[in-house]
Amino acid sequence: MSMLLEVSGVTVSFDGFRAINNLSINFAEAELRAIIGPNGAGKTTFMDIVTGKTKPDEGKVIWGDKNLSLLGMSESQIAMEGIGRKFQKPTVFEAQTVRQNLAMALKTPRGPFAVLMHKKTAKNGARIEEIAEEIGLLDSLTVTAGVLSHGQKQWLEIGMLLAQDPRLLLVDEPAAGMTVEEREKTTDILKRAAKTRAVVVVEHDMAFVRRLDCKVTVLHEGSVLAEGSLDHVTADQTVIDVYLGRGHA
Amino acid sequence: MENTFIAKNPSVLWFLAALGLFTIGVTLMSEAAGVGLISTSFVKTLGKTLCLCLIAIAMDVVWGYCGILSLGHFAFFGIGGYAIGMWLMYARTEGIVLDSLASQVIPPTPQEVTDAIGNQIFGVVGSSEFPVIWAFADSLFLQLLMVVLVPGLLALVFGWLAFRSRVTGVYLSILTQAMTLALSLYLFQNDSGLRGNNGLSGLQNIPGFEAVPQATVSLVFFLVSAAALAAGYLFFAWVVSGKMGSVVQGIRDNEARVRFLGYHVESYKLFIFTITAVVSGIAGALYYPQAGIINPGEIAPIASIYLAVWVAIGGRGRLYGAVIGAAFVSLLSSWFTGGGAPDIPLGFYTIQWTDWWLVLLGFSFVVVTLFFPKGIGGLFDKLVRKSA
Repeated sequence: MSMLLEVSGVTVSFDGFRAINNLSINFAEAELRAIIGPNGAGKTTFMDIVTGKTKPDEGKVIWGDKNLSLLGMSESQIAMEGIGRKFQKPTVFEAQTVRQNLAMALKTPRGPFAVLMHKKTAKNGARIEEIAEEIGLLDSLTVTAGVLSHGQKQWLEIGMLLAQDPRLLLVDEPAAGMTVEEREKTTDILKRAAKTRAVVVVEHDMAFVRRLDCKVTVLHEGSVLAEGSLDHVTADQTVIDVYLGRGHA
Repeated sequence: MENTFIAKNPSVLWFLAALGLFTIGVTLMSEAAGVGLISTSFVKTLGKTLCLCLIAIAMDVVWGYCGILSLGHFAFFGIGGYAIGMWLMYARTEGIVLDSLASQVIPPTPQEVTDAIGNQIFGVVGSSEFPVIWAFADSLFLQLLMVVLVPGLLALVFGWLAFRSRVTGVYLSILTQAMTLALSLYLFQNDSGLRGNNGLSGLQNIPGFEAVPQATVSLVFFLVSAAALAAGYLFFAWVVSGKMGSVVQGIRDNEARVRFLGYHVESYKLFIFTITAVVSGIAGALYYPQAGIINPGEIAPIASIYLAVWVAIGGRGRLYGAVIGAAFVSLLSSWFTGGGAPDIPLGFYTIQWTDWWLVLLGFSFVVVTLFFPKGIGGLFDKLVRKSA
């Protein structure tokens, strides 16, 4: 099976501490995957590597049908290759309207001169409205993003990722700080998105992961500890040790 | 498109109307074309103020909109001034030299003329040779090109080096201070080719228009400065509106997010840094013929810091705020330091405003930063909200 993203043998150290230790992990097209693991397991560092923020000491990160190496590409190039990233803290442009936020993310030419000469088109407008509908912010298009609720900001950021039309969506703790209804809605958005692209969700919250109902990868100390369905990994003795019985090691 | 742009940015129209009224008012009250209520020297002050407003909106775009606190934009302003000053000084000296040699029986050779001009200009620093950088000084067109090209290229190279290394925040500010300090120190040297600390002088005399009275010259410069400010305002208002404005302000608020959206942040910063440097150069080229003299002290680091203070007091992130700040503070500054404000005798001590003005300015800067983070321009928001 051809993979969308292949991470193999990646190691990163910060001042001697191995945040990622010989990590190998693969993602297929149009799959929904949850990555769980205790604090310091390397979940965020893994995202940093894939999106070009952190350069690994060794290992390979291979992307797409053309087997491109993502190492050595800048963050913006990787984003244009089709990898979108949602940060843990909702990061939307609070001083700008929901529409402006989405318009900025829309898949249009990114060069300064193209942007300077950019003209609004009906097609783009329709696409923005379509996304706003998907994330439940259609009525808030003209609202300044700063006044949205926490949950709405998270959705707006997911909407911005969708507007980028990425093939791989990396989502860091989307449900943090959300109410139960908001979580359900977030689950729906992510599940629908995963029908047409790969969605990788990093999450602490087991109940949320259960609701996603997808393949789960457990990270621990920078490498994969277990992989499979949630029931499978939670039955795994080493996973139980890592999560519950820290004293054993 | 123009219509929709103005319609979406009503403040642009308001600003242009106010600037137009102001310009007409000054013209009607000037000595050259009106009733003479405004002295020629004050017309010059107003014209210079308009140039300062122009560099202030450039500063607002780079700092208030893009979040790059450049403390070096006065270097570009000074370079623009030097570039036009070289032609002004060369052409004027050439005229004088030709006049004085005209009485000779044997017509002077071109070499003799050049030597005499060189002697006149560089005698003050003990030289008579034309440095290489004066190669185009005899051509107004080429020197005008320099006004745009030299600041633009310097900003491009400096910005490219700084932004690609991801130098941001206070480190970038320090770097820009270092740039303007280095330039200023270099120009202070006698062998810099720009007359060391003497600078370039006599710039108020426009070659070819010696017969025109200064009253008219200053009014013309005032009008050109007003037109440049209007054009610059329109240009920047257009740049910071629409999608470009979204991206630029996004970079200010969250650079990493913009990067992960796929925008090459460094290119945008470089673009903004460079166009604002070019406009600063143009502002300087209009300013110094009105000031009459430029010397390396003009691009001392403190000048660029003042620029940031004007924009902060006027209100960042709104172009009219920068104009208000620059006009208000620089006019007030020349009133205080020019002896306009009466000294305050306290018995045991006399407050002389020439010395204490800076203290007052520093104090107001602190007050504005603490209590009115949106500056004077922020007051307009309240007015608009009340009337709405």
